[in-house]
Amino acid sequence: MLNSKASGTNSNAQPGPAADNLARGEDTRGAVKWQRETVSAAGVFVVCIAALFLSRLINPEFGSLHQLQTILTLASFLIVVSYGQGLTVLIGGLDLSIPSVITLGGVLTAAWMSTLAPGGAWWQIPAILAVCAAVGVVNALGITLFRIPAFIMTLASGIIVYSLCLGVTGGTPGGAAPASLVTLMSGRVAGLPLVNLFVVVFCVIAAFVQSRTSFGQRLYAMGSNAVAARIAGIRINVMTVSTYALSAAFAGFTGMMLVGYSNGATLRMGDPYLLPSIAAVVIGGSSILGGRGTFAGTIGGAILLTIFDMVITSLGLAQGWRTMISGGLILAAILLQHEGALDWVRSIVRRRRSTTTRI
Amino acid sequence: MKTLKRVQRWIAAGALMGAVALAANDGIGTANAQAKPKKDKYLIYLSLSYSGNAWQSEAANVVKALAKTPPYDKLVELREVISGTDVQAQISAYESMIAANADGVISFPISPTALNRTVKRGCEKGTLFFMYDGTVTEPCAYNVSYITAGFGENTAQQLVNALHGKGNIFLSRGVPGNSVDKRHTDGAMSVFKQYPDIHVVAEYYGYWDDRTTQQETAKALAAHPDVDGIWAQAGENGAIKALQAAGKKLVPVTGENSNGFRLALANPDMRAAGLQGVSSGSPPATAAFAFKLMMEVLQGKRKLDTHNIEYPLPWVPGNQVKVCAGDKPENGCNTFPAGKVPDSFVTEVFNSRLLPELSLQSALKGEATPGQTIQPLPADAVIAAPDQPGINCQKCSQRADAYKLTKVSAAVK
Repeated sequence: MLNSKASGTNSNAQPGPAADNLARGEDTRGAVKWQRETVSAAGVFVVCIAALFLSRLINPEFGSLHQLQTILTLASFLIVVSYGQGLTVLIGGLDLSIPSVITLGGVLTAAWMSTLAPGGAWWQIPAILAVCAAVGVVNALGITLFRIPAFIMTLASGIIVYSLCLGVTGGTPGGAAPASLVTLMSGRVAGLPLVNLFVVVFCVIAAFVQSRTSFGQRLYAMGSNAVAARIAGIRINVMTVSTYALSAAFAGFTGMMLVGYSNGATLRMGDPYLLPSIAAVVIGGSSILGGRGTFAGTIGGAILLTIFDMVITSLGLAQGWRTMISGGLILAAILLQHEGALDWVRSIVRRRRSTTTRI
Repeated sequence: MKTLKRVQRWIAAGALMGAVALAANDGIGTANAQAKPKKDKYLIYLSLSYSGNAWQSEAANVVKALAKTPPYDKLVELREVISGTDVQAQISAYESMIAANADGVISFPISPTALNRTVKRGCEKGTLFFMYDGTVTEPCAYNVSYITAGFGENTAQQLVNALHGKGNIFLSRGVPGNSVDKRHTDGAMSVFKQYPDIHVVAEYYGYWDDRTTQQETAKALAAHPDVDGIWAQAGENGAIKALQAAGKKLVPVTGENSNGFRLALANPDMRAAGLQGVSSGSPPATAAFAFKLMMEVLQGKRKLDTHNIEYPLPWVPGNQVKVCAGDKPENGCNTFPAGKVPDSFVTEVFNSRLLPELSLQSALKGEATPGQTIQPLPADAVIAAPDQPGINCQKCSQRADAYKLTKVSAAVK
């Protein structure tokens, strides 16, 4: 029953892309050939590689295999958390409760799965993720049922969740990381860090879900035009709830990864991820207004931010300069992703092509 | 649809009324706090700037434990206020404590200067201010701190000795712009500058936090894998984790007092891999010491002739780490076995001479140790701290030998 219903809505929702394909067959103008999202994502990765090469000027060690592994390990937290953030941005929302949910996931992991008190079991991982997802469900209910703007709702719930963590732990999250998470974060398979392989698998699955499943397509539809999406038969409330639940669950999982990485939880462990999670999504070419963007771009954004961070750290500048540079770089990256920049590139390409044909 | 809207409206109205009721209740609560307390007890406020790491909560816990230990349990009414990392919030917290006619305020101050005016007003109204760990430059307040005891220069010299005066090092600092971080780093640089073959190749801020320090160290290691030593403030255990994760040989690391760091220093495998160092730095015991001093002053048992009191610098080199068997730091042990406390637990919360009343339960849960009573502080417990401009005095000058080594001597030229 459920299946048939799903496929029913599916076929309703599908005509969009199908018609798009049909149109693309006839339309051969450059603007359509160069899909904006593909260009954005490719651009970010090009900038990543360029940044790596430039950083070799600072230190020849940059760009080595070992350093690439470190970058991917440090970026893994940001990649996972900004996937969730990216989904909420895709439907035109925003999740500001992410730092608190990371902390919640970390605190629960350290408390329930601690090696200090043996008894850490596998079922606790889904249990903790479910608790975190519940925060997302509350967020979405506030947004859909009570029409509270997303940023206010998630900001408020974030403060409440953080205060709960502070109150329950009395300031000191106890416990240590369970062996399973320590293995995930610091184990090695065939010479490669296990966490790098995990992130690659995660990225493939996540990108598939976002761009190739009907769930992902519905998110795009909602973000482009929520009214049209509702008329097309998409259940907006259910989709919103599942999106925010996913975002919170990924934030919670990031908390678990952080616990495995450094063997313990602190109450401010989520703080450094709020702005970077949004920045990675926007640098990756997603529209902050929703409906546009790819996860591949977000991955590039997260890796780029990590490279920037690393280069800035190794420059040995005063802290004030460092934060100024990192703010400036984010701004520059976002400006490059601006609609105008792409049109400018296109117009240059077109002009060059027209001159060559004239000759 | 219509009923749903009506339900929504009712819920909204209910929420609004609830909020008003809460606000009103809060107001009444504040009014009550400002009423004169019963005079058979000393009203003491414990003002924390930030609760969120092991250090802060241990410092608060030992004060609470002492307030529950006889005879203080009958003498003291202790109220705790956590005002976050915002200095304005702490100023307004102090204001309401003064308005409540507090006999004493024991506090971890956020800023050495911003609280001065409020503290001065409080002193004039007869409230005693005792600051622990952090300091204020207002002369009427009492500062109980290890800051002037030379953490930076002594650990730096230890690191230089371990490296035989030569090598590339990282500085893992604390919070940017913080006066304590600056004092530590100035002290350390005064030593490093004497050795032209010591090169600081990376300097980063770990925010006195294991996780941040680990990530920042990992970044610095990616750029400078040839590092020979790390000089760290609190968060040092993260630096070691990053070294291990990089899969290279370990190097000498100096840091503060986390249990995980001390266990690593004592671990024979890690020593064989190249780890050595010293555990020193900020002791949460200063909070308990300040509280006992304040109570003795309030009860008229002690007159303090200095306002700046120095707490001796903890100093545990790797070969002096001794793991405790029980729940009390007995027989000179200074570290707890893994599994008993989290890695981030700060073991310098105890002091068998000044604070014999405390046990592990006091530090972890804020409970009094059964069977203990408050012991008077030894007559020579108070050591005057030297002047340190911007830390414990405003219009004063630094001694010429402010960065004199006290715990270790230069072993290399």
